[in-house]
Amino acid sequence: MADTDEAAIHQPSPDSGAHIETDLSDETQDFRMLNSISFLTDGSQSSLPKRGEKDFEPNPTLFQADILSASRQAMHNALSYPRLHHPKHHVIGIYAPNGPTPPRSAQTLDTISEESQPKKPAGTGLGVPADSCVYVSTPKGQLFKTIGQADRWNRIWLLPEEALYLLERGSLDIRWPCSEVGDGGEDETQDSGIPMSLQAAYAAFMGRSGLTSERFSVYTGLRRLGYTITRAPGWYDEEEGADGSESEQAPLVRQQGAGLAGIFGQFLQWLYKPEPTTALGPVAGLGFHRSYDDIYRKLSFIPWYDPAAVPSQSRTTPPYRIVFHIYKPSTPFKKSAPPPPDFKIAVVNSRLHTTFPTLSQLGSLLESTPLDPPTEKMSRQLYMRLRHGYRNVILAVVDEGVVSYLRIADSAFGKEKIYQEVMRGNFGLKGDRRKKGCIAQPVLTMIPEKATRVCLPRNKKAQISTE
Amino acid sequence: MADPALPIPISYVAGSYFLFSIDAVTYLRREHHICGVLSGTLPQIPQQNVFLGLPLKLMPEEARLLVEKGVACIVDEVKVQKDGMRALMEEDRKKYLRELESQGEHAMRVQTSRKEEQREKALKKIEEKKAKKATQAAELPQPQPQQEQLVADSPREDPIVDLFADDQPGSSQTQPSASRTSTPAPFGTAMGVTPATSYPPLPYESSAEQRLPLPDVPSSYPLFAHLHSEGYYLSPGLRFGCQYLAYPGDPLRFHSHFLGVSADWDEELNLMDIIAGGRLGTGVKKGFLIGGAEKTAKGSNIGDSDTVRTFSIEWAGM
Repeated sequence: MADTDEAAIHQPSPDSGAHIETDLSDETQDFRMLNSISFLTDGSQSSLPKRGEKDFEPNPTLFQADILSASRQAMHNALSYPRLHHPKHHVIGIYAPNGPTPPRSAQTLDTISEESQPKKPAGTGLGVPADSCVYVSTPKGQLFKTIGQADRWNRIWLLPEEALYLLERGSLDIRWPCSEVGDGGEDETQDSGIPMSLQAAYAAFMGRSGLTSERFSVYTGLRRLGYTITRAPGWYDEEEGADGSESEQAPLVRQQGAGLAGIFGQFLQWLYKPEPTTALGPVAGLGFHRSYDDIYRKLSFIPWYDPAAVPSQSRTTPPYRIVFHIYKPSTPFKKSAPPPPDFKIAVVNSRLHTTFPTLSQLGSLLESTPLDPPTEKMSRQLYMRLRHGYRNVILAVVDEGVVSYLRIADSAFGKEKIYQEVMRGNFGLKGDRRKKGCIAQPVLTMIPEKATRVCLPRNKKAQISTE
Repeated sequence: MADPALPIPISYVAGSYFLFSIDAVTYLRREHHICGVLSGTLPQIPQQNVFLGLPLKLMPEEARLLVEKGVACIVDEVKVQKDGMRALMEEDRKKYLRELESQGEHAMRVQTSRKEEQREKALKKIEEKKAKKATQAAELPQPQPQQEQLVADSPREDPIVDLFADDQPGSSQTQPSASRTSTPAPFGTAMGVTPATSYPPLPYESSAEQRLPLPDVPSSYPLFAHLHSEGYYLSPGLRFGCQYLAYPGDPLRFHSHFLGVSADWDEELNLMDIIAGGRLGTGVKKGFLIGGAEKTAKGSNIGDSDTVRTFSIEWAGM
């Protein structure tokens, strides 16, 4: 076994043909490669440049210095590309530093009719999230299909991350309101005409209502790949992370103790206090056994964890909470009634949390996600089922702007009765082998299953859609 | 590529350090080997993650190093923006808007001329093809009108400017045209511009009360400073499970050589970590590097990169 592992490592790095598997965004790319993209003429171009040749180490040749300075020049040019808004597509948003407020006309009407009315807290009654801070009066373009929330004056309100993302990609021109600019008056909703720079937008939106730079990195990274991404209830630290979807689940038969942590304790107990039966006689017990099934059933006395059981509703601890719901580009998404998410993401800052989450942190995180059992399609594929698990969550680990995604699934080894599979012939064993009874697999059922699979999501290199 | 005035202001926003000026980014990369991590979306190709744009995110270590060198200062960006915009005079505002407008008009002109150029090129190509086909045989004349249609449609209305030309409308060297009246341009002749930085209209220099003290850095800072002083370019090491990736030259052109992990001088290291790091490093053709500041008799001198010793571990058995 070891030999094959090592051979795999020793294989020469894949040459140009096999580059599909290497993720280009994993390392710094030579910006000269940008020159080869013909995005200037053809917007539908979806092929990205190949990985550029890099040198091993610097040497004092002029040749190398020239290439390096060309690379830097290309990077400089690419990064100094301005954010321009053609008059035909110019979408203007206005920054509302105090959250959603009704438009000026409605405000004056209100004050005339009920002057003594106390000022309502921002955002209530408008039907938009209270954290919104930019509104767009005349939204245009594809992006608003999945971004923002409209109020009853047909203005689209944007959350900080949405506003910042749109401004950053050059799709939105955000203006300072008059109240924030010099002697421009006190009106909070009036356009002062001064566009916010990228720098000003970062200062205004980053850190607002729980938007950390780590969360924003995850948000924009996935948006750029075409995913639709919305805030999940766990975004707000003070709120209970678990959402209401749990209670809807039909109560399943609770075979074993509570939760992932509970089963671990049970397993330890079992280790310290072994069943007396093992000392007194055969593990399978005395008596007649008419089929192997009987024996295996008796042999599986180690407690195991059933992830399909009702969760114990333990509190999730930040940052191990679902903060984003992700939808694949292919999932039909309606802003008014978002479908169940394709992925759930918790964002972790690796600088603050340097160790892997503890079993109880991970357990309560998984329990806060809705049950997502293996699908019908996987009914005959044991390993697919184990990989998929019964609950899953994606941990986005962010180190100063570099993001790694880990998919964590709650695998149910205990639910996969290998001996039954074998009897059904699912393992492709020959009939005669079965008759002889030389079956090695059932050992697997003896493994106490607290196992939690960790694997990288396959979808990381998802489609790169261009507009 | 004008060199920015020193000290370069580093924006501190919500616990992170950002650079928004492309001149500062290029200058620090060229002169001080500080690369940071580009974390923004490139407006010209927004739907991909391979090439990213401004702002540049700096590690606290990088920000601290620059401040200690006297090249940069940390600025409380939220305060700067709030105070600055409030203090903006009517006159400055008008001047700023005029400037933006002239930039927008310039961009529009560049774009239209470029479109025109592309159109001409496309038409020329079609002409050439036509001529070629005509000389060969006149069997299939149908596809030509279709083709023409296609090309005529292809100049898209997305903001397209000459990306690689030197006269960038958004960069600093464009000066507003001298004789521009204050009357607003007729609709449709100027592009809206979202500038990357806030100066102008805000002043480049920050006042003393807007400045922040030295950034807090993790205990691995001595190793960072040491490797940097040895000429290495450093970047966050999450992708390889270490603290810093050390590049022998600019990461644009070179692969990294070391996976750096910092340790305290008296810290007990888990042998398994060394084996795992060594195997991983060798597997990806890099060295696994452990380093830390040596304890001197004088006692605590944290941040002194002179006393750092480093050890490189290679897995020889593979």
